[in-house]
Amino acid sequence: MTTLTPSTPVPTALSAIAERLENGGALLPDSPENLVEVVGVLKSYAVVLDAYSINLNYIAEHQFLVLFPFFKYMNGDVTAGKLMRHWLHQRINYEFAEYCMKAMFWHGGGGLDAYLDTEEFRTRATAAIQAKLKGNLMMRGINQLFPQFLLEQIRQLSFYSGLGQFWRVMSDMFMVLSDRYDAGDITSIADVVDHIKQGLVDNAAMPITYAVTIEGDRYEIIPATAGLTFLMDTAVPYVEAVFLRSFPFFGTVSYNAQAQQIPPEQADFSYGVLFADPLPTGGAGIPPTLLMQDLTHYLPDYLRAVYAGGLRGNGDLRVKINQSFQKSMFCVTTSAILGLMPHPLTTSQPQEQQANREFIDSWLARLEPSALLRVQTPQS
Amino acid sequence: MTEFLVDSSWWVPVYGVLGAVVTLPWSTGLIRRAGSRPAAYLNIVMTVVALLHCVILWTDLWDLPALHVDIPWLKLFDLNLYFSIELSRVSLGAAVLITVLSLLAQFFALGYLEKDWALGRFYALMGFFEGAMTGIALSDSLFSSYALLEMLTLSTYLLVGFWYAQPLVVTAARDAFLTKRVGDLLMLMGVVALSAIAGTLDYAELTAWAETAELAPLTATLLGLALLAGPIGKCAQFPLNLWLDEAMEGPSPASILRNSVVVACGAYVLIRMQPILSLSPVVLTTLMVVGAITAIGASLVSIGQIDIKRALSHTTSAYLGLVFLAVGMQQDEVALMLLFAHALSKALLYMSVGSVTLTTSTQDLTEMGGLGSRMPATSLAFAIGSIAMVGMVPFGGFWAMQIWAERVTVGAPGLLLILLLVNGLTAFNLTRVFGLVFAGEPQAKTRRAPEAPWAICLPMVSLIVMCLLVPVMLLQWELLPSLASVRSPLSLAIIGSSVVGFGFGAFIYLNPAFEHPLGLGWKSMQDILAQDFRTDQLYRVTVVFAVRRGARLAAWFDRYVVDGMVNLIGVASIFGSESLKYTISGQSKHYLLTVVIGVILGIASLGWLF
Amino acid sequence: MLSILIWLPVLAGLAIACLPEAIMTPTRSRQVAMAIALVILGWTGYLLTQFDVQSAGLQFQESFDWIAPLGLSYRLGMDGLSLPLIAINSLLVYIALYCSDVNLIRPRLYYSLMMLLAAGVAGAFLAQNLLLFFLFYEVELIPLYLMIAIWGGSRRGYAATKFLIYTAISGALILAAFFGLALLSGSFSFDYEQLQNLELPMTTQLILLVTIVVGFGIKVPIVPLHTWLPDAHVQAPTPTSVLLAGVLLKLGTYGLLRFGLQLLPDAWRVIAPALAILAVVNVLYGSFVAIAQTDMKKMVAYSSVGHMGYVMLAAAAATPLSIAATIAQMISHGLISALLFLLVGVVYSKTGTRNVDVLQGLLNPERGLPLIGSLMIVSVMASAGIPGMIGFIAEFLVYRSSFPIFPVATLLCMLGTALTAVYFLNLINRSFFGRLPETFANLPAIYWKDRIPALIVVALVIAFGLQPGWIIRWSEPTSLALGTLGDRSTTTAFVEANPLTLPLSAPALVD
Repeated sequence: MTTLTPSTPVPTALSAIAERLENGGALLPDSPENLVEVVGVLKSYAVVLDAYSINLNYIAEHQFLVLFPFFKYMNGDVTAGKLMRHWLHQRINYEFAEYCMKAMFWHGGGGLDAYLDTEEFRTRATAAIQAKLKGNLMMRGINQLFPQFLLEQIRQLSFYSGLGQFWRVMSDMFMVLSDRYDAGDITSIADVVDHIKQGLVDNAAMPITYAVTIEGDRYEIIPATAGLTFLMDTAVPYVEAVFLRSFPFFGTVSYNAQAQQIPPEQADFSYGVLFADPLPTGGAGIPPTLLMQDLTHYLPDYLRAVYAGGLRGNGDLRVKINQSFQKSMFCVTTSAILGLMPHPLTTSQPQEQQANREFIDSWLARLEPSALLRVQTPQS
Repeated sequence: MTEFLVDSSWWVPVYGVLGAVVTLPWSTGLIRRAGSRPAAYLNIVMTVVALLHCVILWTDLWDLPALHVDIPWLKLFDLNLYFSIELSRVSLGAAVLITVLSLLAQFFALGYLEKDWALGRFYALMGFFEGAMTGIALSDSLFSSYALLEMLTLSTYLLVGFWYAQPLVVTAARDAFLTKRVGDLLMLMGVVALSAIAGTLDYAELTAWAETAELAPLTATLLGLALLAGPIGKCAQFPLNLWLDEAMEGPSPASILRNSVVVACGAYVLIRMQPILSLSPVVLTTLMVVGAITAIGASLVSIGQIDIKRALSHTTSAYLGLVFLAVGMQQDEVALMLLFAHALSKALLYMSVGSVTLTTSTQDLTEMGGLGSRMPATSLAFAIGSIAMVGMVPFGGFWAMQIWAERVTVGAPGLLLILLLVNGLTAFNLTRVFGLVFAGEPQAKTRRAPEAPWAICLPMVSLIVMCLLVPVMLLQWELLPSLASVRSPLSLAIIGSSVVGFGFGAFIYLNPAFEHPLGLGWKSMQDILAQDFRTDQLYRVTVVFAVRRGARLAAWFDRYVVDGMVNLIGVASIFGSESLKYTISGQSKHYLLTVVIGVILGIASLGWLF
Repeated sequence: MLSILIWLPVLAGLAIACLPEAIMTPTRSRQVAMAIALVILGWTGYLLTQFDVQSAGLQFQESFDWIAPLGLSYRLGMDGLSLPLIAINSLLVYIALYCSDVNLIRPRLYYSLMMLLAAGVAGAFLAQNLLLFFLFYEVELIPLYLMIAIWGGSRRGYAATKFLIYTAISGALILAAFFGLALLSGSFSFDYEQLQNLELPMTTQLILLVTIVVGFGIKVPIVPLHTWLPDAHVQAPTPTSVLLAGVLLKLGTYGLLRFGLQLLPDAWRVIAPALAILAVVNVLYGSFVAIAQTDMKKMVAYSSVGHMGYVMLAAAAATPLSIAATIAQMISHGLISALLFLLVGVVYSKTGTRNVDVLQGLLNPERGLPLIGSLMIVSVMASAGIPGMIGFIAEFLVYRSSFPIFPVATLLCMLGTALTAVYFLNLINRSFFGRLPETFANLPAIYWKDRIPALIVVALVIAFGLQPGWIIRWSEPTSLALGTLGDRSTTTAFVEANPLTLPLSAPALVD
């Protein structure tokens, strides 16, 4: 689809990617190696996301305004054996799920974020607080003195719930992807992108709601009538907050205000998955290490075999998983871009093509400093 | 039981170090399948054990005179090195304080570093840190105090360097080590000289020796100044103060300890060395001048900071300056009391600051605001920490300052002005930070700010309670002056200075109608304060310049003069021009070997003929 | 008993070199060498158990006449000065063999030379006949020369030749002095015992002593006779560097004590202030030059120059305490410098460079060398004299014992500890801290065999740092004997009697 007019600028690496996208390709080049890595890592990710999602929903619903949630990662199933394993740290690192939740919460954007500042939310949350604090004089006092304290906690819990619901869908989607791959249904990166895009589109209108039960009474914090939906109110803010912005890592960026290493505007943050540098994974102050550690446990055998062939065998497993994970997230991003495209990709209208191209270019411009160009070539 | 605990008192520092050793399987990556939280729990358990050991000893020995336990370490001819331990109210109290704060800081870290996979290493370092500090608290010999101070330097380096991949950490860790090392080196000179001159390094014997010693004034002065350098470095006093600012690159849980008890360890050793320092009036004067400069300078600098951690770290230097002044006036008890009050309140302030940083992902005061109503524990911690730190009745800071004013200013009324100035400026600065962070309208980065997780809030609330209880503790220990003294002019002056500081701060920073300036007045003043009076320039044109130039000159000399000469001689005379080329053929190697063997045999046969 | 330390490796070396290739395959030659080294290590351990720590004199003596007209007799003996050095030699030879490259070229020559080197060094430490000592001193030179020249880096020829020339001059000077001693003794004997307590005019003594000092000073090395050392280290393979720094430099200071102080104590006292000044120059010069280096190995090599200055300082002071300090510092430097070279060797073999300007972020846990980095931090801290490790107590003893004799020189030497911190922190913070760059993102895997040698030495460095008595107890009587030789035999008493009369002012430097 290259235009032959001589006035076009020399095709850069980016425009090659743009053309690939227009031709139904992905941000990640299609290759058998990439396919194995992406599907394999997404399979493990599906298992981990399942656990994350269950836990986030559990915390939102069952640890509602609990001041000392000692067992919040145990999903209500506290037995001696489980507790022992928990203390021995033989467990999923749910901290990372909360980290992603915090990124979404802190960066904001989307309908969920906007809803939390409405009067309706305030009324509903206050009712739940009153019910919860019944008979607890001390907490009532604190609530009087610090009126925003518990409200802010409920806002945060709403995001626990929102992310939990979002990941529920994603986890199932990735699991089906893996099953289809095992069945020989998925044979290219484009298939992966299509599968995810279809999943996003199918669930786009799924309502996002949140309710808690206090002493038998049900309190709807986010009712269905708030009109929050899966794609626009969780998926899109998630991509923005987790894939693109995220937080600066203690281990690589100085928080020193005088050094000004962190941009003053949140919109200028670029510490997300797509921008991450996989090499420091495993080190101090690198939170994604937690996720990579969780992913090590559920890798399919075919991917394990690929990793074992590296220079360091299993010694640098988490870095390699991170590299694959980044690739798979570029596929998810591709699906999101395609799903949000202003016009169908197959359009033959030049104006619509132009609008699509501009949409793609704006994304690519944003992604230029990311790992996008790095994943274009095989790496080790 | 008590006897057993006394005999095993050397275990108190060992617990922490043992905790560090226990973490090795995690911190070296031997255990890869599971996470490293067990290492954290084990260290916390070790700290609890150390705390219990100290507390039981403390209560058991409360009414007894100080006990001395000598642990011989190395005896060589006339040199006897002991790791002596003193078990007294003060030393055990200091150890209890250290272990309590260490415990709280480690608990705090469970929340603060929950997403850090290198937790094992962090706790190993904290254990080591704690071990070195309790060791200093109990140490009864200058030798072991010195050795432990050096270990503290090492663990500061490693803790600041915890996030080793972060660019500013790379320089901060190095600078912290080297700055302290300069102090340590001078102190080592003093220790070696003292050991040779006095023949002992035991504190009690040194004190006895100092009473009768007749040293030449120059010797006494040089000796005292050398010994003084160590605490100057450790307590971040001018001119060795900048490392503390840079050390804020390290993790917050370590900053809690560093600003409360680590700096106090330096002052603690200073107090123990006081009899020797008193041998020379010049040394005492220097001590006072350094303390005074730091107290005032650092108070001013702290007001110019826009980084929340640094805005507080400079006040640490300032308070330690007040401690220096007290030691200079030979008021050790006052110094200890100020250290105690400062340690608790400063630890609380740093917990609050850590919580803020974790929640808002920024340390920039200009980007904050409006956190107060959403973060009750954090904002209370800051408020109470502030009030407890400055001179406000009835909290710890007030009583320490009250006694300071009563005893230290005897014969030197001018010192009262320094106290009032430091107190007023600190009150102003703390109000400034409080106003910028907790009051006002939320900004983008503080818009979504839920209170920190319970692992952070629990130690914070515990410390709030402890800070509130300080007056009760002082009353229990019979350290409080009569209540009537609250109405004395000195007390009123202290309270007055706090009120003026708070009021001024509140007027500017808690007043919604006021455009909040960041610091004091106009731009150039602000800049020079923000850059710590350009003290780094002072380093750059002196020590750094000298070392760098010396190194370059020596390397040049080595390469072109010494080695150049050798090569020249070699080329010109001994083996002709071919043999010293950079590569020689295998043949000439064999040739050379033959020459050597020939020489040996020749000499041997020559000997035969003789 | 002692001959085993010398002749067992010689026999093994001969076997490795001379047996036909079919029997002595490269793998087997390595196995044989390591087995023999292990036996030697065990034998050294056995000798330690048999050694009488109360005695100052020579133990396990062996003696028979060899070439009588030449005054060459085969006399061996061990005292508190040689024992720790023998122990460290046995240990480091084993470690050097362990960390030798399995696939190196001409393995049979290499392992036989290693054996010869071990024998030569042991012989030199044990010889109680001056000529015998000299023979061993020269024997040790040949394998070292060849190891640099054959298995060295790109400029190995230059470095090896330089090393050879320097050491040959050193040997010639020593031999000249020995002949002088033998001639002047009247009996023309090279036997050590007969050369002690010679009554010679001071001028003669001084001439002999200065010759000895210059001769051994090349080996120590004393600035400005040191320039062979950095070149030799940089070009030498890791195991050779380990032995060179760990043991062979000690031959220099051992010689100074054994043949300088012990044979000519009066003259020693006279030139001691000059030696102290040389020590200061060594420490400061070595440290300053080390700061300017970018090659890790050069940095460690110059650090050796600096740290050997401490040995010189304490040796110059020559009191019982300072002789004990000399021995402690020799052990300390032997272990720590060996450790540093081991670690630098691993870094070099994995990354292909030693340049601190190029290396970065090696602490990276998955793709870097995290454990090697941690061990490196431990060892540079040991070298900088951080308590808890052997470097601290050895340096403290050096300072403490030298201060009463040479206060100003001691204070100047102490500056070296701060300068050591400067260059080694530079090394750590540049190479190990920071982000691992892409260029080093694919380093080869690191195995336990790369780490074990360093781990063993680190364990010793820490163990002796916590319990310095374990190394010092062997040498107490010998230190006392050596430290009370000569005119100022009452040095200790003098110090104890007049602790306050010690001048702190500058003239003490040359007093």
